[in-house]
Amino acid sequence: MPELLERKVGIVSCSGEELAEGTVARLAALKVLNDLRPRDTVTICLPLFLAGGAGDRAFARLHPTITVDGCELRCAAHGTEKYSSKPAASLVVNELVAECGLERPEGRRRLNAAGQKAVEVTAERLAVLVDRALGKDAGTPAAGDAAVHKPDAEQREVACSCGSGVPVTKVSIDGQTVELVALPLIFRQFREAGHGHDEEAARELFETVKIYNAVPPEAEGSYREAVLREYAVFCEKEKQA
Amino acid sequence: MNPSKETVVVVPCSGIGKPFGTVSREAAYDLCEELRPESTRLVALAKLVLGEAGARDLVARHPAVTIDGCKQMCAAKMVRQSGGTVAREVAVLDVYRRHKDLKPEGIAELNEAGRKLARVLAEEVAESLDGVGQPVEGVVHA
Repeated sequence: MPELLERKVGIVSCSGEELAEGTVARLAALKVLNDLRPRDTVTICLPLFLAGGAGDRAFARLHPTITVDGCELRCAAHGTEKYSSKPAASLVVNELVAECGLERPEGRRRLNAAGQKAVEVTAERLAVLVDRALGKDAGTPAAGDAAVHKPDAEQREVACSCGSGVPVTKVSIDGQTVELVALPLIFRQFREAGHGHDEEAARELFETVKIYNAVPPEAEGSYREAVLREYAVFCEKEKQA
Repeated sequence: MNPSKETVVVVPCSGIGKPFGTVSREAAYDLCEELRPESTRLVALAKLVLGEAGARDLVARHPAVTIDGCKQMCAAKMVRQSGGTVAREVAVLDVYRRHKDLKPEGIAELNEAGRKLARVLAEEVAESLDGVGQPVEGVVHA
């Protein structure tokens, strides 16, 4: 898959307001995003896959994504796979708590000591999964030492991807307005790679667009035509720029 | 109090990236654990995303209060998509505009102003819930 954006791992947490384990999931995700791997991670609110736009739903297609859930319902994992793309890895807090022999967390609003410990353990496991997703060796100081990643004050803000800037282009296909994500990013990369305008290049371009956008099989011809039309417009603008 | 004792479901947004999302969650806890524990029921938004049967049933059978931390209004949208009725649609930003001295900061842990903002919001919703037992005509914005 081509890298359209700076390679970062997406972390999607269940909101889990009803359970202490949900609070553990959320706080562990924040710890990784804020403290342990701030430069390597980005997040999005789970419900945006449904309530947001096409750019939000493309999240897990643009980032290798790790989900962290509080309970066996696995709302974050299932929701991410259903509405965006299959997560690269998934964690479930109550399973991790059992695996590590920890006491069960309590206090969905204010975690008890066992809950705080569970946050630490879950965050550490998440950080290892982040390193693995990025192909880093979790045993090396560069990847494993939190001090190396310690952000300065200005960086201590979660990299939230809602309204994330993934470009969405409205395209007319068979008389319908359809939203396609990431077209300018794909086009720019494709053009800079020196691809021509022959049939093979057109096939490759459309296959790349299909990685990030759901294309109904029965409408592939129309989508392909629209993508190539948009690409021609893009190239013309680039020439004039 | 809610005169008909009808249960109201409370759905905060699950916002993880901004302090206003944390305010929505804190306000929901204030409402459901302290201010109106007998007549409210907290529902996790993630369950509605998943389409979990129990959560969908709850929002289908009871009026909902949604509390959203950003303009995306995920909680309100998800309740409607799940077949529920939004009786009170609250945007934290609207409440903050009326209480500019209470600027929330911190996501994992809110500052004092953020906790106060959550409490103010919860108290306003609690008072408004006293009329929820009456027939709800359309969506009422808090």
